[in-house]
Amino acid sequence: MRVKLKSGQAAKKFIERVEELSGENVYACYQCGRCSAGCPVASEMDLLPNQIIRLVQLGLQDEVVGSKTLFLCASCFTCQSRCPKGIDMARVMEAVRHLLDPKGKDAFGPAEVSPELAQELPQQVLVSIFRKFAK
Amino acid sequence: MSAAPKGKAKKDKRVGIFVCHCGVNIAGVVDVEKVAQKMADYPGVSFSTNYVYMCSDPGQQMIIDTIKEKKLDSIIVAACSPTLHEKTFMEAAKLAGLNPYQIEIANIREQDSWVHHDKERATKKALRVVKGHVEKALQNESLEPIKVDVKKRALVIGGGISGLQAALDIAEHGYEVILVEKNPSIGGKMIQLSETFPTLDCSQCILTPKMVEVQRHPRIRLLTYHEVDAVSGFVGNFKVRIKKKPRYVDPDLCNLCGECEKVCPQIVPDEFNMGLSFRKAIYMPFPQAVPGTYTLDAEHCLGLSPVRCGKCKDVCDRKAIDYDMNETFFEEEVGAIVIATGYDLYSMQALGEYGGEKYDDVINGLEFERILSASGPTGGVVRRPSDGKIPKSVVFVQCCGSRDTEHHLPYCSKICCMYTAKHAMLYKHRVPDGQATVFYIDVRTGGKAFDEFYQRTIEEEKTLYIRGKVSKIFKEGEKLVVWGVDTLAGKKVEVEADLVVLAMAMVKADGVQDLLKKLKVATDTHGFLAEAHPKLRPVESLNAGFYLAGAAHGPKDIPEAVAQASAAAAKVGDLFAQEELLHEPTIVPVDDEKCSGCGICITMCPYGARSLDRERGVVVVNEILCEGCGACAAACPSGAAQQRNQTDDQIFAMVSAMLKD
Amino acid sequence: MKVHYYPGCTLKDKTKALDLSTREAMALLGIELVEPEGWTCCGAEYPLTEEKIGTLAAPIRVLRQVRDEGGDVVVTTCSFCYAVLKRANGAVRNDPLKRKRFNAYLRDDIKIDRWTKAKTTGFDEYKGEVEVLHLLEFLRDRVGFPVLKSKLGRDLSGLAVAPYYGCRLLRPKEELAMDEPDNPKIFEDFLTAIGCQAVDYPFKQECCGSYLSVSLPDAATEASYRVLRSAKMAGAAAVAVTCPLCFYNMDKRQDKIKEAYLDFPGIPVVFFTQVMAWALGVDKALLGLGEHAVPAEAVFQDIPAAEVRP
Repeated sequence: MRVKLKSGQAAKKFIERVEELSGENVYACYQCGRCSAGCPVASEMDLLPNQIIRLVQLGLQDEVVGSKTLFLCASCFTCQSRCPKGIDMARVMEAVRHLLDPKGKDAFGPAEVSPELAQELPQQVLVSIFRKFAK
Repeated sequence: MSAAPKGKAKKDKRVGIFVCHCGVNIAGVVDVEKVAQKMADYPGVSFSTNYVYMCSDPGQQMIIDTIKEKKLDSIIVAACSPTLHEKTFMEAAKLAGLNPYQIEIANIREQDSWVHHDKERATKKALRVVKGHVEKALQNESLEPIKVDVKKRALVIGGGISGLQAALDIAEHGYEVILVEKNPSIGGKMIQLSETFPTLDCSQCILTPKMVEVQRHPRIRLLTYHEVDAVSGFVGNFKVRIKKKPRYVDPDLCNLCGECEKVCPQIVPDEFNMGLSFRKAIYMPFPQAVPGTYTLDAEHCLGLSPVRCGKCKDVCDRKAIDYDMNETFFEEEVGAIVIATGYDLYSMQALGEYGGEKYDDVINGLEFERILSASGPTGGVVRRPSDGKIPKSVVFVQCCGSRDTEHHLPYCSKICCMYTAKHAMLYKHRVPDGQATVFYIDVRTGGKAFDEFYQRTIEEEKTLYIRGKVSKIFKEGEKLVVWGVDTLAGKKVEVEADLVVLAMAMVKADGVQDLLKKLKVATDTHGFLAEAHPKLRPVESLNAGFYLAGAAHGPKDIPEAVAQASAAAAKVGDLFAQEELLHEPTIVPVDDEKCSGCGICITMCPYGARSLDRERGVVVVNEILCEGCGACAAACPSGAAQQRNQTDDQIFAMVSAMLKD
Repeated sequence: MKVHYYPGCTLKDKTKALDLSTREAMALLGIELVEPEGWTCCGAEYPLTEEKIGTLAAPIRVLRQVRDEGGDVVVTTCSFCYAVLKRANGAVRNDPLKRKRFNAYLRDDIKIDRWTKAKTTGFDEYKGEVEVLHLLEFLRDRVGFPVLKSKLGRDLSGLAVAPYYGCRLLRPKEELAMDEPDNPKIFEDFLTAIGCQAVDYPFKQECCGSYLSVSLPDAATEASYRVLRSAKMAGAAAVAVTCPLCFYNMDKRQDKIKEAYLDFPGIPVVFFTQVMAWALGVDKALLGLGEHAVPAEAVFQDIPAAEVRP
């Protein structure tokens, strides 16, 4: 089944919103894949980071919804530091996550952490992971 | 309201007005007939008409006939921009016996009909514009182009393939050429290559005949181990000061016996082999060097003054070695200069994520060429630098430093896709059981037979091309690990390699900016030579008399470099074919009476055309260098700098006429 | 010398060793650390979107407090805190809209005087007057590594330490700018200054897995393993970290790493301030070594000078 690409305003809206939220020019990505190549967690992802931004470029938000990838970003910024076009992929990832799946099935909240584990974990882990993934 | 124009308005001049319709381009918005009608009554105008296409044959003929019949001594053509047809109408005027500097082009298209919609106001504007030009025309003087002698001798800077080709072509035209090369031998980068794409011609086999031809050509004076020290003058009349660096060996006496090299105690990394092997302080860069002579590298010699070693001189039975040689300078006069200074590769140090320059087995394309070369440090056997083992897995990484707007260079280096395919192919020829992997973002194979070559690398040599830019290269024990991605399959990949070859970006030649500053030649933001027009004038500089050839102008491969070099030689031929050059006379002379010698205009001039005559305390202008840009005229506080046919008086008269109701 | 010091919440609870060793070391250097009054958690994450930025009110309040106490510099050791404070500070300095918003959020804060307990409101606009420095930067730029070198109390020339930068000290470079992300030197220079042998290895700025050790433990285990293994292969006797989360992933979870990767023999993980304190002459008992899951005693003893194996 062919994916029908929307044209006109409908398609633009999603991209524009991602660009507005992230502050990045999504069109500048020429799909070299370096973000995916350097990402420490990419092997666990269903969609690679460069594929996420590609789907944004194509306006195909439905393909991105429900992707595990959005909740696997460790915010290490390796992608950002290596991108030849200066795109901060971590920001794009966060923008897409906020737009599409704030409470998605892969979100990670306090319910996922056992009391014993919570005792053991340094505070900053809990604060950071909930800030990222438990909206 | 109306200011009487100052200065000499020759009201007895007979001005003709020719208003062009340009089809509907002008006539569709401006009422051209009305303009022609109204202008007939303007003071100084003797004739006024309109026509559908002034630039056409009948249009021009009408102008010529009318000038003769009506005895016009000045004409205004109200039409399109002068950048298009000013020359056309100047030629037409000449044919009618009128001085071409008595014609004016009033732009009522690009600056009127093409940018306005309101017909009435556009027509009024056209009238104002034409009136302004009439006022200017009334004060125009007849001018003669300035004649410049041309010295029919060329200087070529750089002895790589581009410089050699340009020198040979100019010499074959029948002119003398001086070829200056800073290294001990000519050959440039091409002589370092193993085989060239897409034919796999042995690079040295196709280049050395040209090198020998240059050396033997009766009209080429080959000056190796020389540098251009200073250039003055202007097109057709350059004075060049050349520095002869001391070789400490007389090339005419040296017979290449090699005894000196055997006894020399100093070991130096061999730059010809990209540091992969060593040479002595007294050395020949490569066996087919032209000229065939040894050279003593004073920087690495133990000491020449006083002499600390002296072993080489002791064993030279031809007495060719002379420690007392010095740097000398001499001057030559030339009419044209071809710049063919070549390129260098971007430094691997800039790529920390690929190890910087830490890993011996991560090398660049030129190093790999030397490894592949039969005359290289490994005798043509593919061995890796660290331990000499034959690599069974080689990874090639494209776009290293290129196409990276964020950290490195924004442009594409053009040749890397092809030479990487060539490298992979040659590697597989020599190590058939080895694995060649290429990481790319795009593969660019625009030249003749290029794409077919690249397809062979994949289909016949079974090279694996992976689409994805490598993020990191690091060493783990004996192996190099390459972290990349296959964007097409959607998988992060890791490849273990014995050797990694990086296709580093092509950049301007090391240290060339010092030379270009001396030549005062324009460069672009990356230090490459700037062409006069990117499409229509690719081998000339905007600085008259300078021509560009080869990679000094921008990344390009050998076929393009040769084509450009021959084109530059042809342009030099254009220059030399003229007995004398004609230079536009609309320059800015100096009125001695008004000039106070303040020197402001000298600092304004982008062409270095003005200078201070200290004895007389006034500024003088070199009419040949002056391009009539008018910056000095605008800056001169006393009005001593007045441009010919664009004086302050003329401009005021134009403005007054345009603003009058 | 007095300087404001922001420890961060984790240092006061789960990684006291980092705080303790920092204090001991600074005391020997004659530097008094002053914590800003009433400081709160920095929030750990710098929001990456242009809109959900309310969480930055907390770190900006901390910075304002430093300024109001007369400080022009605040030093921190925790990488997460460093990244948040510095980036928040940068946002206030460079983005007029954000500066306006944050000052609006914080305008109605109530200040309680430390001694009189009187309540006041009305703060001066915070414009980014404070400089945020990581302790490494502070030692390099404000104290000077040569000064550090001159006060050493022990000879650590036989100790090979692998510096682990992790993510947050170097990236994004434009906002943190401590050193080149792919070719940094500051940590190595620090280790050399305190007399150790700094080990170079290719994983010094690769991610340890960060908070994924909670939501996707296997990925974090693998990431941390790669870092530790690379350091070990390069001949390090220990890995020095600056971040409590890196410490958790690589020390507290080292048993999980060994379970998953049977060939991994293990390596002690220490805080850079512990090594510094030890080099300056601090007593071993005051380094907080009891908090380590992987015993680190072997690192903190008088080791005769030995060759680093490449």
